[in-house]
Amino acid sequence: MESRRKRSRSQIIKWVCYTLLMLLCTVLQTTPGLFQLGDAKPLWLLPLALAVAVEEDEFAGGIFGAVCGLMWDYTAGRTVGMLAFELLVLCFLLSAVVQLYFKASAANFVLLALGASLLVLSLDWLFFYYMPGYSGAVERYLWFVLPTAVFTIPVCALVFGCVRRIHAEFKIDNGIV
Amino acid sequence: MALAVRAFLQPEELPLKDFFDTWKFKILIGIAVFLVGIMAYAGANDRLTAAPQELLSVAVAPFQKAAAMVSSGVSSLWEKYTNIDNIIAENQQLTEENAELRRQMVDYDRIKAENEAYKALANIQSSRPEMSCTSAFVIGRDPLDPFYGFTLDQGSVDGIEVNDTVVSDEGYLLGMVVEVEATSCKVMTILHPNFNAAGVVSRTRDNGIITGNADYAADGACVLTNLNRNTLTQKSDQVITTGLGGVFPADVLVGVVKEVVPEVSGKSSIAVITPGTDPRTVRHAFIITNF
Repeated sequence: MESRRKRSRSQIIKWVCYTLLMLLCTVLQTTPGLFQLGDAKPLWLLPLALAVAVEEDEFAGGIFGAVCGLMWDYTAGRTVGMLAFELLVLCFLLSAVVQLYFKASAANFVLLALGASLLVLSLDWLFFYYMPGYSGAVERYLWFVLPTAVFTIPVCALVFGCVRRIHAEFKIDNGIV
Repeated sequence: MALAVRAFLQPEELPLKDFFDTWKFKILIGIAVFLVGIMAYAGANDRLTAAPQELLSVAVAPFQKAAAMVSSGVSSLWEKYTNIDNIIAENQQLTEENAELRRQMVDYDRIKAENEAYKALANIQSSRPEMSCTSAFVIGRDPLDPFYGFTLDQGSVDGIEVNDTVVSDEGYLLGMVVEVEATSCKVMTILHPNFNAAGVVSRTRDNGIITGNADYAADGACVLTNLNRNTLTQKSDQVITTGLGGVFPADVLVGVVKEVVPEVSGKSSIAVITPGTDPRTVRHAFIITNF
């Protein structure tokens, strides 16, 4: 069984790792032209926030989701707090849903994250493209929203693997066998 | 505070139904209310970011710069292989254009000499020394932005201000600064429907408004609206800014007319413009800070 100090230190290092991963994902998401196919580019911050919410509890996951959302708001130059609020709610719900109904496996996570990505992308399309009345809304949905969600699938698997590895590396050893 | 941090780092195992009665849930609700509050504040003050984000921008900008440099090499290699057919066709077209331009150079030299003489006579300045520019690299793009807005690595500490004009290396209009952080700024491109600049077709002197249009943004084209229904503007005419309104300098190149189409109501025409520099792929720009 670990001492309380050792446990606290390992947990701090774990959250530092998550924070560094968040910075890396921010850079990968916003770097011009990187992993871009056509108009679509995969999302990185959303899968990361969801993966942390699944591996940690709903409270930590919700707060980390809000931080990731703030980072996304900043880098995208959007109204501050909007994506942060969306990610807070999504991470909380996903964490709760996985605890209650799903096994926290990679396949389940990819499916749930795909649904969450589609939801976020669809809301963005609805509020910032369809409702302002821009033309070609259906084409935009078919050729941008759906491909972006599909391109996010491999990112989900990769990010989930990284987060799971970090979580396992710094798992609290409470002595229960 | 220490209790909250400890609880965050060492989560207790609670059944989810009990979670809604805990202080943790109340904190989450508090954060959600706070986020909605700052969102409402930002919206009400017509301001996209808040002070905490300005601090965040200082921390993130170096990472974005480094990644942009790395990706520049990677993506150009990627583009080479994915666009090889286009590059061959473009090369052939450019070779033909080059030959044509060489022929025009002879005329150009003569006209240039004449022009210099006229300028001397009229005492017109050949350049615009009052205009000051700042060099900037594109360090970020929002993957969800349908109008290809981007972030530049120059901010308020470099003298950048909201509404500054952004042009390409070749002097073509790219957009305007809409938001300034300490070390970076956000640019709204000419493809955005909210972008408005007074423009004129240089050959026919037809006035209009340069703006973006969702129909053409995906193809990297913008439009010159409010042209007369019987306009003489035609394909390949140059479009420049007029400087009307004082936001943009006069005579900034925008691009060439691709086609002229009637406006939906039929009362006026729209010239679809192919920008001289594609705002979707630009990696470096100049910000005009004074003119």
